[in-house]
Amino acid sequence: MNHCVPDFEFDDDHSIPTSSVLNRPRKSAMAEEDVMELLWQNGPVVLHNQNQRSLKKSQPSFPADQSAPREIPSSHHHQQEQQDHLFMQEDEMASWLHYPLNDTNFDSDFCTDLLYPAPCITSTTTTTATATATPPVRATRVRDSRPQLNTATTVASAPPLRPPIPPPPRRTENFGLFARHMPREVASGPSNSKSVTIRESTVVDSSDTPAPGPDSRASEAMRSMEGASGVNNNNRCRNTSGAGAAATSSGGGGGSSGARDLTMCEMTVTSSPGGSSASAEPPAQKPAAEDRKRKGRETDDEYHSEDVELESADAKKQSRGSTSAKRSRAAEVHNLSERRRRDRINEKMRALQELIPRCNKSDKASMLDEAIEYLKALQLQVQMMSVGCGVVPMMFPGVQQYMPNMGMGIGMGMGMGMGMDMGMSRPMMPFPNVLAGSAMPTPAAAAHLGPRFPMPPFHMPPVPGPDPSRVQAANHSDPMFNSFGMQNPNQARASNFVDPYQQYLALHRMQLPLQQNQSMVQPNASKPSTSKGAENRENPENHPSGRLKSFDRVPCKGCRLPSFVV
Amino acid sequence: MSSRRSRQAAGVSRISDDQIIELVAKLRQLLPEIRDRRPQKVSASKVLQETCNYIRSLHREVDDLSERLSQLLSTIDADSPEAAIIRSLIM
Repeated sequence: MNHCVPDFEFDDDHSIPTSSVLNRPRKSAMAEEDVMELLWQNGPVVLHNQNQRSLKKSQPSFPADQSAPREIPSSHHHQQEQQDHLFMQEDEMASWLHYPLNDTNFDSDFCTDLLYPAPCITSTTTTTATATATPPVRATRVRDSRPQLNTATTVASAPPLRPPIPPPPRRTENFGLFARHMPREVASGPSNSKSVTIRESTVVDSSDTPAPGPDSRASEAMRSMEGASGVNNNNRCRNTSGAGAAATSSGGGGGSSGARDLTMCEMTVTSSPGGSSASAEPPAQKPAAEDRKRKGRETDDEYHSEDVELESADAKKQSRGSTSAKRSRAAEVHNLSERRRRDRINEKMRALQELIPRCNKSDKASMLDEAIEYLKALQLQVQMMSVGCGVVPMMFPGVQQYMPNMGMGIGMGMGMGMGMDMGMSRPMMPFPNVLAGSAMPTPAAAAHLGPRFPMPPFHMPPVPGPDPSRVQAANHSDPMFNSFGMQNPNQARASNFVDPYQQYLALHRMQLPLQQNQSMVQPNASKPSTSKGAENRENPENHPSGRLKSFDRVPCKGCRLPSFVV
Repeated sequence: MSSRRSRQAAGVSRISDDQIIELVAKLRQLLPEIRDRRPQKVSASKVLQETCNYIRSLHREVDDLSERLSQLLSTIDADSPEAAIIRSLIM
């Protein structure tokens, strides 16, 4: 195959553009065959010299390919000289494609590089070169020869390109920059960017759309990125640049769709390898992506993104002064970073919103409010449960007698809870201490309180009874937190979600001031102001008997409070 | 008019900014890890992240505790007050 490569290059160049165009689609077939076809078809048109020779040889059959390659080395230089004439004759050939052929730079070693590096690459290169070379070469740029081939090589890596029909001047101007282009693997900034441009234009041209349009678009996109002039014909390009301008001007306040596009561009840019200039990337990326998508050449994406970035940065630098470029770039970078930061925060807010149950608030502040309350409630709940885990095993049989106390304590607890929800955490603190010392006082307290509440057994029956209610209370978490979003006032909410734990609070409260229980109960009962009012007011009345009922009626309008005892 | 409008616009942003700052501060206080750190240096993003993590960990803890409580419940007499307590605790 390597031997055939030069054939492709030289011969294809000689072929007529039309034939080459026709042959392009057939490139899927063996390159050699294509080349052969080209040669033969273009035989008469192509060359006078060696082509005929090769043609003659190849005409018989494809096997002639093998013979042709053999000829290549010998006819190499020969072809070169003759190709000069040919290239001059044909106008459609891409100038840059023909450069290497016309050029004296086109040394044998140069050829060898192409010929013998990698078979596939060379073959594709040749085919590509053929394709591009078919259009008549206009101006022969010596310096472009090498870059041309390199470009061709790089381009060859992409799917075979149709013969571009670009306006040579534009091509040339791109190629002029191309002159500095190093092999793509070397990845020099400007040349790569230029190569990308060229590639894009090539790709563009290969499509059905007329060359000038996409080509100009691609080049303009590069040039006008930072300006956000929206000169691009492409809508997306325009929108992108417009959005970029808007975002830049507004300092990224809105996060509109434009900003989002840019953000997306950012994301793509960051994901793409070697994103050098962030600011230049998105706009350049978008138009490039646009063109790419239109062509459906996704294989070029990776190459393009990187090169586009570099290209855009390069173009920017060249178009402006260094200082202005720096300033604009700094501003853009700042905007981009600001946008990224905001996106991060928004994303975390969304995650937080998902965690919070029944959070229907879209407003940041209210959502944060709910998050804070939910967090407090969760903390409280965890505390209660951990305490409960520790306390339950320590319950004594005499706990029954605590029921009334607890019932009473609920009033107290409610009063406490209602007064403050932050304060809820405080009562928790002494609990462990209380628990530690609870062993002793409990019997005493029970004995102490026993006579006070002559109906301890009264509470027992209701205990199993209210299980359903307790079950509902068990679902307290739902109604409890439901109250967050409900119309319950803050106080109600606080007490609502604290209520399930009131029993514990009450219990421990009882344990603490054992002697003062009575006094505590009374004052609590008579302290309707602190509590939600209704419950406490009822407590004193219900103490003797209707304690449970009072608790039933208790606080949560929306949720069933476990008559705790229940 | 313009001043009012600008004030309104600025007012809105000011309010929300202040609110958000205050809320973030509140959250920070609640979060155990961040509380001890340099209070002013934590970014909002980090606070939100820590909040999410903390809420998730609290959820896990609640689940664990619920499981333990339910196990305890099974061990004790269903009619006892402890059972009542436990049931009330279990969500």
